[in-house]
Amino acid sequence: MAARKNLSEKVKALFELKISGIAAELEAPGLKFFCGDQRLMDPEEVADLSHEFESLIVSLLGSKDPSDMQSPEFHALESFFGGLSQRVLMRGGHVEDVVRYTQSLQLALIDVLQKVSGIPFSESRSVLLYFTGIFNELIMAVFRAYLEERENTLQAQQAELRETATPITEIWDGVLTLPIIGTLDSNRTMLVMEALLNRIAKDHARAVVMDLTGVKRIDSQVSHHLIQMVRAVQLMGSDAIVTGIHPEIARALVSLNIDFNNITTRASMSDGLKEAFCRMGITVSH
Amino acid sequence: MSIPGLHLTQIGRGDFLLDPSKSLNIRDSDRLIEDIAAHLLQARATRLYYDLSDLSLIDPLYYAWLDALARAVQAVNVTMICINMQPTAAFALSKFLKKMPSFQTALGIESWRE
Repeated sequence: MAARKNLSEKVKALFELKISGIAAELEAPGLKFFCGDQRLMDPEEVADLSHEFESLIVSLLGSKDPSDMQSPEFHALESFFGGLSQRVLMRGGHVEDVVRYTQSLQLALIDVLQKVSGIPFSESRSVLLYFTGIFNELIMAVFRAYLEERENTLQAQQAELRETATPITEIWDGVLTLPIIGTLDSNRTMLVMEALLNRIAKDHARAVVMDLTGVKRIDSQVSHHLIQMVRAVQLMGSDAIVTGIHPEIARALVSLNIDFNNITTRASMSDGLKEAFCRMGITVSH
Repeated sequence: MSIPGLHLTQIGRGDFLLDPSKSLNIRDSDRLIEDIAAHLLQARATRLYYDLSDLSLIDPLYYAWLDALARAVQAVNVTMICINMQPTAAFALSKFLKKMPSFQTALGIESWRE
């Protein structure tokens, strides 16, 4: 209780306040920012939101040290705003909506507390400072959740892009095709290799046609990774057929002194497929 | 056949399956190679399938053992084919391999082609 010794009379009164039934009075900011043109929430949801906030703020003000931002009560409040930020963002809202809601809620809360207690909290610098400190942290929680959500979305999009840029397809029983499109870097080559080897094991693929038609440039490190990928395919017991090597890439491979012995190459993907079918004893007739 | 750390089973005419167990001590490779080669010779074996399905990683030491065994059995006219290599093992092996190995590889026994 030592922390409470230096509290101003108003803050002391605030922390000793027995609050109940203020949720309805706190709905206005939610209705304004979430039920407007964008219709991010319906009024019932805003009412639930206010009830939850009421219970959390009551817990914080009634806790052992309401100014402790490490307390479980404060963390619960932070999680509430973090979750709200994620929910709004997932529904197509903006972080600005949540920030403005949080700021309005702060003012509405002080007004309501003043009204129910009869104590003029809005005239107390220490009360205002206390709430400003708390709500600033809550706005930070909103931004943290927003950034986390954005980061997750970006990562998911990148993963999706990677997957669509290197579609491994079983074109025939035991024959996989891997058309590589775009720039090959070491990181991507490793990911492709991992996906390809797992797919060979899963599908028991006997031949893999790797088509480089969509690759315009290649550096020495990537060339080595490419050879490594072919070798790993062969080690698993599959035939690797590399097709569509551009003249510039062929020249680069020669200048890099890369050994293409033991690697089957064909000019185009169709030639590569013919070779794969031929090795498997499959005859395709017109 | 009972050789410490591995099972050698005849699976067809001239075909043998070598199934290593966790207790296989490849540091004792000379003795192991002699035992295996002796048995294959005696049984007039032509092919030896080495099952790698329980091996998630092949390091240079293990590769040296596979290489030595493949070359030794080749000397007694037996072809060694490593089967069921795991993706992680193929990945690891391809990283330090400078040339193709002395043994052949296949997805499994059934996919081995003449």
